[in-house]
Amino acid sequence: MNLDVLGLFDNDYDTEGFRTCSVTGLKIHRSAENYVKLFGLTAVVALLVGGIFAFTVAMTRWEVVGLLQPSDFYIHLSLHAWNLLIFWMVFMEIAILYVGGPMVLGRRLPITRVAQTGYVSMVLGALVINVSIFLTSPPDTAPLLTAYAPLQSPPAFYAGVILFIVGAVVAALPFFLTLWRERREYPNRSLPLVAFGAFVTSIIAVEALVGGLITFVVTFLWRIDLIQWMDAAWYRQMYWTIGHGTQQINLAAMVTVWYFLTHVVGGAEVISEKVSRTAFILYLFFINLGAAHHLMSDPAVSVGWRIFNTSYAFYGAAFASMIHAFAIPAGLEAGRRKRGKGGGTFGWLTNAPWANPVFSATIFSIILFGFLGGITGVVMGQMQVNMTWHNTFATVGHFHGTVAVGTTLAFMGLVFFVVRTMFQRRLSFGRMASLQPFFYAGAMGIVVIMMMYVGILYGVPRRTAEIVRNIPGTEFSLQAASPLFAIFGVFAILAITAGTIFVVVAVASLLIGDRVTGPEDNADLVPDGGAATDDKPVHAYEMRGTFLICLVFMAVFIGSYVINWYVLTELWSVGV
Amino acid sequence: MSSPLEIPEDGWWDRNINRRESIWLGLSGIWSLIIFAWMSAFTRIGEQNPIGVTYQVSAREYQEKMQSYKEAASERGDALVPPDTDVFIAAFRFSWDGTPVVLEAGTEYDFHLSSYDVQHGFSIRPEHALSKQMNFQVLPGYEWILPMTFDEPGVYHVICNEYCGNGHRTMHGTIEVVDER
Repeated sequence: MNLDVLGLFDNDYDTEGFRTCSVTGLKIHRSAENYVKLFGLTAVVALLVGGIFAFTVAMTRWEVVGLLQPSDFYIHLSLHAWNLLIFWMVFMEIAILYVGGPMVLGRRLPITRVAQTGYVSMVLGALVINVSIFLTSPPDTAPLLTAYAPLQSPPAFYAGVILFIVGAVVAALPFFLTLWRERREYPNRSLPLVAFGAFVTSIIAVEALVGGLITFVVTFLWRIDLIQWMDAAWYRQMYWTIGHGTQQINLAAMVTVWYFLTHVVGGAEVISEKVSRTAFILYLFFINLGAAHHLMSDPAVSVGWRIFNTSYAFYGAAFASMIHAFAIPAGLEAGRRKRGKGGGTFGWLTNAPWANPVFSATIFSIILFGFLGGITGVVMGQMQVNMTWHNTFATVGHFHGTVAVGTTLAFMGLVFFVVRTMFQRRLSFGRMASLQPFFYAGAMGIVVIMMMYVGILYGVPRRTAEIVRNIPGTEFSLQAASPLFAIFGVFAILAITAGTIFVVVAVASLLIGDRVTGPEDNADLVPDGGAATDDKPVHAYEMRGTFLICLVFMAVFIGSYVINWYVLTELWSVGV
Repeated sequence: MSSPLEIPEDGWWDRNINRRESIWLGLSGIWSLIIFAWMSAFTRIGEQNPIGVTYQVSAREYQEKMQSYKEAASERGDALVPPDTDVFIAAFRFSWDGTPVVLEAGTEYDFHLSSYDVQHGFSIRPEHALSKQMNFQVLPGYEWILPMTFDEPGVYHVICNEYCGNGHRTMHGTIEVVDER
């Protein structure tokens, strides 16, 4: 396939189609690079679409503005969710697989025809989903992400979902073939950590997608009346294999990106291959069980099922996340100390390349994901505490803490990195680009905290157009939450502005940005001091800064845990 | 140099682990065990557990149960007073059948929750303390029997927090808890 649109696919390759990246030193084949660009660009388009609906949705929930009618609200909310939580993320994740497989291993992308088919199917699926949601009319309702049967959505919606899921599985096949060939050629060689992380991600992805395929094929058959009865409990349990499973893909992909970007732009090293890989293995076995937290306040699942899923097993994955929480900053600390960039307890962090948005986006992603998304995920995943979080706005706060600040920021950093190294464009509006991650992380972080507060402190429900000032038909209101909603509204506007700046910078850089002409143009992406040379093993370097940060993290974790349990035990008694 | 982009050197499994990382592994592991043990123990010692019995029930069967419950119940104003300690509530678009209802503080009631049509969310909190709120999923086809004891008198508001259609936001019910002692 000869792709060359606007000069975006025209890097210099040798006669075999390879080139060497001046930043990462990777041997990159044209086929892999072009598909990474294609999937990445498509993801940014989805981010833009979803971001537009972020504005209408937030301005409706902020009832002082009250932008949309209730009949439109759920449609906008559904479009917001599908474009951001699914299309933006999954297109990026396929790109990450192609980076983690072919690029890191220095191979070409095999069976590009299959990658192309997967791409077309994903794009068609995304279009069908968007159009069918937009055109929803009674008796159908918009699906949000969950599409909880027996509430029915347009048949085309379910068909679109099936098309998209099949496309994503097909698009993952070239990655699997790459790894298979690598293993056949070098049966005794370990994979690089980033490739290993991508491999674990891809397995979690296929589990989730196949679960989703079963769910949505059956639901589609029900919707077109080939199946008469749809069991709500069956649907919920099946749906959440993909509903939360896709978010576990985001997590594993994001952690892989953390290892990748902290290394290439910050000089981080792997402090222990054994520990980091073990953590990925724990994800592989346990993380999908985290999906069970959606069923904690449900009937129809037994106590044993709940305790096994969230407690015995899911904490295997929580443990894994705590391992990465140390390993990644410690890698940065050790790597920078090795380069002579130590300086006291936190010097390695304060003298890091903060002006580089790839670096700052990655670090904010790590911090905010851990403190806002990770801690709350474990706390609300406790069977009993879940009663106070379930379906309140606090839940929305949790997943904005994981995906809107965590994953999205990591992927924004990655997009900037791809613009610089694969599209070979310098970032337009340099200063604005530098500040963008700070702006987005700060504003979105406050939005997330407000969401959690209104949910926990006032029991404000999610999925509602307006209810704080006025529940029609009653004097009762949740007016007390209004001041927090005002903060929410203002910072939501700021966060959306920061998101807009991201899209503007990324797109402008591609279209009008200066070309990267030589390695010196990307010199700021290479960690200070270049490759370190001494022979001291990484684990022998000081990691006291990271250790202190992790102790603070643990203190906040325990604090949130205790507060949530205290709030719970203040309630009237329920259950046996 | 140990790069995540390169194949690790031979013997990577046997490399030492930094002492601080080992300590962190220990702390994280212990914490994981504590939160597991606490959650499990709370099902035995705790007063707040979303446990209870579930039965499969069709919408029609539940409607019939609801009907005989209402016939047996007495009325106070426009509110029901249950005949015994079983309280039936049914969710349907866009109302809570069985509310308003008057209950006594300190008495353990068995709440029967089900839906006539789609999924709903039973989100309940007293008027005087919005932060004291609990939330449960209500499924059509299932009758969930959830024991509840209210400590404090007051008006408790129930709003639906699972999207159930355009009138979702109007779905509101009340439970009045009175002190009979």
